[in-house]
Amino acid sequence: MPQGATRRTLLQGALAGLAAGGLTACGAPPLILPKSAVTGTPARGGTLHIARPAASAAETLDSASSLSAYEYLGAIYNRLVKLDVKGKTVPDLATEWSSNSDATQWTFTLRAGVSFHNGKPLTAADVRYTIAHILDPDTASPQAGTLSTMFGPKDVEAVDDRTVRFRLKTPNAEFPSLLTAYQCYIIPEGSAKTIGKTGIGTGPFRLESYRAAGAGAVVANEDYFDGRPVLDRIEFFSIQDTSARVNALLSSQVDLLAQTNMDNATARVVTGSRGTTVARVPNAQWYTIPMLATSKEFQDPLVRRAMKLAYDSDTLLQTAIQGTGSGGWDNPVPPNLEARLPGHRPYDPEQARALLKKAGKDGLRIPIYTSAYEPNLTPIAVAYAEQVRKAGIDLTITSVSSDSYYTAVWMKKPLMVSYWYTGRPVDQLLNQIFRSGSSYNESGLSDKRLDEVLDAARADTNEQSRRAKYQDAQQMIVDNGADMTPIFGDRIVGLSDRVVNYQEYGFEFDYVNIGLKASSS
Amino acid sequence: MIYVARRLLASVVTLFLASFFVFFAVQALPGDVAEQLLGQNATPEAVATLRAQLGLDQSVWVRYFDWLSSAVHGDLGTSLVSGESVAETLSTAFGHTLLIAIPAMIIGVTISVLLGVWAAARRGTKVDNTVSVLTLITMSIPEFVVATVLIIVFAIVIPIFPAVVLQGPSATFSDLLPALWLPIVTLVISMVAYIIRSTRSSTIDGLTTEYATAAELKGVKRRVVLFKHVLPTAMLPVLPVISINVAWLLGGVVVTETVFNYPGLGKLMIDSVSTRDLPVLQAIALLSACVYVLVNLAADLLALLLDPRQRTSRRRSSRPRPKPALEAKTSEVPT
Repeated sequence: MPQGATRRTLLQGALAGLAAGGLTACGAPPLILPKSAVTGTPARGGTLHIARPAASAAETLDSASSLSAYEYLGAIYNRLVKLDVKGKTVPDLATEWSSNSDATQWTFTLRAGVSFHNGKPLTAADVRYTIAHILDPDTASPQAGTLSTMFGPKDVEAVDDRTVRFRLKTPNAEFPSLLTAYQCYIIPEGSAKTIGKTGIGTGPFRLESYRAAGAGAVVANEDYFDGRPVLDRIEFFSIQDTSARVNALLSSQVDLLAQTNMDNATARVVTGSRGTTVARVPNAQWYTIPMLATSKEFQDPLVRRAMKLAYDSDTLLQTAIQGTGSGGWDNPVPPNLEARLPGHRPYDPEQARALLKKAGKDGLRIPIYTSAYEPNLTPIAVAYAEQVRKAGIDLTITSVSSDSYYTAVWMKKPLMVSYWYTGRPVDQLLNQIFRSGSSYNESGLSDKRLDEVLDAARADTNEQSRRAKYQDAQQMIVDNGADMTPIFGDRIVGLSDRVVNYQEYGFEFDYVNIGLKASSS
Repeated sequence: MIYVARRLLASVVTLFLASFFVFFAVQALPGDVAEQLLGQNATPEAVATLRAQLGLDQSVWVRYFDWLSSAVHGDLGTSLVSGESVAETLSTAFGHTLLIAIPAMIIGVTISVLLGVWAAARRGTKVDNTVSVLTLITMSIPEFVVATVLIIVFAIVIPIFPAVVLQGPSATFSDLLPALWLPIVTLVISMVAYIIRSTRSSTIDGLTTEYATAAELKGVKRRVVLFKHVLPTAMLPVLPVISINVAWLLGGVVVTETVFNYPGLGKLMIDSVSTRDLPVLQAIALLSACVYVLVNLAADLLALLLDPRQRTSRRRSSRPRPKPALEAKTSEVPT
């Protein structure tokens, strides 16, 4: 998910906590949260009600925009390619793709017989138009930065109706994975001006109504190329306040809470209440502790190394989020991706202490910034501060208003806790967050050697050795990087117990198979 | 009449000052609207361009007088975020707020004045004690707790009312109708205590006056003494308490509206703060200021009607306005 969409000011009332108090009295909820949603055969048809926080009153159905109404996108559009659970690029509108020998030319073949919701058949011209729209500076698409370094709008060619060719300036063997971003949904040629309201795509649902930051509905697309979806209809509602969203679920007004990572106490209330339950999206939240490499505290690599050796990710996982996730050990690649480097760095507070002494920074004392922006940031800050105390590091927890957290603290203060959503393909993840000078490089570290390894990986057309290079890059980030990854957290999603086959990972939501149990059961 | 003219003039000056403070307070909010709109990976050039487009690069005084003169003509500008007319957005939200505020006001004032008089008339009895304890309890419970308890009981455990409004700003009256009741009850509960307590204490004062005693000794029925002789005078110190509560209700009740996801003025305010939608924010603050000034003016004029002394003694003492009772809930003024 776009960070912009979740980075919202919410009234962080004690409501959920109160609700917890109110309901736990009625019966002790189970201590163990269900791992995944119920699977089974859903009843055909039905209407699913989804509550979501709106990105802003300026949100749009144009997926290329930084203010897209995210939940609608997967229901109404398709991309050329998408990612599977393990991070592999798999077909969506393109059925096959191939490159020339040095990976500078990529040719995609489109699925036959696909039509947009307005009846117009999908052709290569639509793909070319969509890519040009994403690259258009006026669109200000978050994905433009990644794509525009490799090619311009003129480098996309519609070879024939069903063939598109991209000519890249530099070799990139991972290029298709960069088109899996949720900004790359394919829209009809010439629709850039209207797509934000019409939402005409090729997806499993057609847009019925939509109002920015309000309510909207989509209905099943009977002609969907991958078979008609189970549900007849999905209704979306905007509820900004997290507690109000949870109340809407508890009172059965909605069936699913999108983009809502519930804190543990609320999750227990929801699990323990009649008619509602939770599902976990494994490792969906990637928590980071960026050390600002340009600050006087962390310009020294010895200090950065000490800050890592001083803590144990697995213990932090237990303390901060009751084990609902995985230890990160400062490797930013999520554990479910095949490309993750196996094993992890040591935990050695004694060596951390020695390193600090060597750097002349023993007894390091600085604030660590946190905010109620996301429920787990503060628990992580507290758990981290507690652990590094053993290495003689004294951190003061400093909580600031969630309003200005990402404008006044992020990339400005030497030490803070932040998060991203996982779901980026490995190449994009490493290049976007860790390459020197990238606008998302939150630690501000420039490492020319890392950039070279990343370039070499892109140019390598052999899958085995390319993966080895990406793993080298991970090792460099673990050893020398300035952006720590303490843990990956499961996103805890509240849903009605009537919902079956809910599946979500990365930026993928399975809108085709999700359904409702027959109401008699 | 001079008094009325003077009050009107004072109101205009107050509004002018309010507009001044509103504008500059909003300017002082942390965060830059251009950065906010463009998101975290905005380039400095893009931010500069947008600032120029929005006129943010002009002098703050120029912007203030431009804004004020169009506001006087009813043009509140367009929202920086949605691009819609601020006046339209604001009137929709204000309409929704009125839907809960007016019933809450009517029910709340009626109940609390009656209960206050009743408790005063039965001073020291069980009735009085019960009312006192209940008002103390409701005074000490914050409204978001009241709202949450109501939701748990009447929306989750016994599902008769919806917990939240789902449709957002485009909600129609029939969408809102079932969802109105819990917010109304929440508002009534959080406002009555103050009015009950001030009504009770000033009615007790009224009952001990010589004219009340004289009336009673003459054999006038107690009910008549209470409602005809005591209450009009006793209402004088209560009026400011009522007016502050009414202004608070009309100005948008942020917490209650947020808990119920109710698309009124308070929720619009919260959303505009988080998106740094300055034109909307300024317009809301200005509207709230107007509401406060108008309601207070109305209360003063009503006091004038109720109190013959204020009409005759005008020439000597300048403005003997009734002092707000101690319970005035200043803490509830939306900020």
